[in-house]
Amino acid sequence: MKFFNAFRKKSPWILHYNAGSCNGCDIEILAALGPRYDLERFGVINTGNPKQSDIFLVTGPVTYRSRERLVELYCQIPEPKVVIAVGSCTAAGGVFRGMYNVEDGIDRYIPVDVYVPGCASSPQLIIDAVVESLQILERKSKAIETPFKLFGAVETVAGKLSRLGMAKKVTDAED
Amino acid sequence: MSLVMILLAPLLGGLVYGAERVLRARMQRRQGPPLLQPFYDMFKLMDKRTLIIHAPHALLAVAHFLLLWLAVGALFAGWNLLYIVFLHLFALIVLVLAGYSVRSPYSQVGANRELAALAAYEPILVLLAVGFYLVAGSFDVSAILAHGGYLAQMPLLFAALLIILPIKLKKSPFDTVEAHQEIVGGVEVEYSGLFYEFLYMARFLEYLFVYGLVFLFAGASPLWGLLLVLAVFLLVNLVDNATARVRTDQMVKIIYATAFTMATANIIWISL
Ligand code: SF4
Repeated sequence: MKFFNAFRKKSPWILHYNAGSCNGCDIEILAALGPRYDLERFGVINTGNPKQSDIFLVTGPVTYRSRERLVELYCQIPEPKVVIAVGSCTAAGGVFRGMYNVEDGIDRYIPVDVYVPGCASSPQLIIDAVVESLQILERKSKAIETPFKLFGAVETVAGKLSRLGMAKKVTDAED
Repeated sequence: MSLVMILLAPLLGGLVYGAERVLRARMQRRQGPPLLQPFYDMFKLMDKRTLIIHAPHALLAVAHFLLLWLAVGALFAGWNLLYIVFLHLFALIVLVLAGYSVRSPYSQVGANRELAALAAYEPILVLLAVGFYLVAGSFDVSAILAHGGYLAQMPLLFAALLIILPIKLKKSPFDTVEAHQEIVGGVEVEYSGLFYEFLYMARFLEYLFVYGLVFLFAGASPLWGLLLVLAVFLLVNLVDNATARVRTDQMVKIIYATAFTMATANIIWISL
């Protein structure tokens, strides 16, 4: 509804995920949430729960181990949602570019709305990115957004796409 | 008058919650969110797509909210205090059921902790009602409010209430039930959108419930009651900002060792 749209940008809740970053940008995000920069004055809460979040703050160049969690977390955030890629390595691989165990940037897997440059990016830049993403959030519809790649086999159950074996009842394990 | 209060209870509780978030921010030298932030959050949650695990799970959140509203309404309308305490217990049992009804580990752990916390503070709420009965001669809240102040006769019961307040308000040192850093909110972890909003508003009502209990201690004079509530409000937030979380088993032990003993001693002292 139109009336509620205005409130989206007044209460953005954040989910922060580290997709294999060096922790530099995570510390900057925490600094932005702390007393000095106080992101909470915009109504931001760091929820840690994808189902109650609006903004997905990702750091790190998606290592092979973190790909599935990244996509899984993205899928669990209810729409409308925006994704912010924090740090150079999240945008294009940065210092990790071309390494054997990383993908170069998260936008191979999920659509990104705002990129934050810098290695490490600064709290001011992160605040700017959050404020920028609020305008995008306000414009978005509630249509389902899908990641670019899904992991694992899928099957069709009753006309709906489902992960392989997810719809089946769990039977007793045979040992 | 009291009907209007009952209908507006969630709004009132939301204001209390908003004021608390501002106060906590100021205590940490931050600017903090605006006073109306809880309402912005509410409106935003209405606009989100809702993911439902299964229907009973979602409906139990609504039931929890409505039962709490009933308990707070009964408190405002001046019903029997013992009934109100048990209505509140019923509302929390519904929440625990909701926690157990999904297979998410965090939700289950949260429900376990909620039960442990209930076992810790529920006896004190009942003893509190008994204390009021012994002094005022009636369980009715309207009769309790007609009597003079209670602090002189029930100081230890008041201290016991102060000790269990952080559990009810989900504050340090007794916030293991929610514990966002370890179990991401516990029971509420699988809720989203509209149904999470009911839990969010239930929290506002919880505030009104416990501060209502504090208000009762001032008895006949509402002004003293408000001052008492304000002092307790400041104290609880100060303690929240200055302490760290204790484990659930430690919490239960501490509550029984201090609050329960004090409450029992006070009851014995009144009835002597
Ligand atoms: S951008 Fe630089 S500082 Fe930030 S996570 Fe990547 S490597 Fe670390």
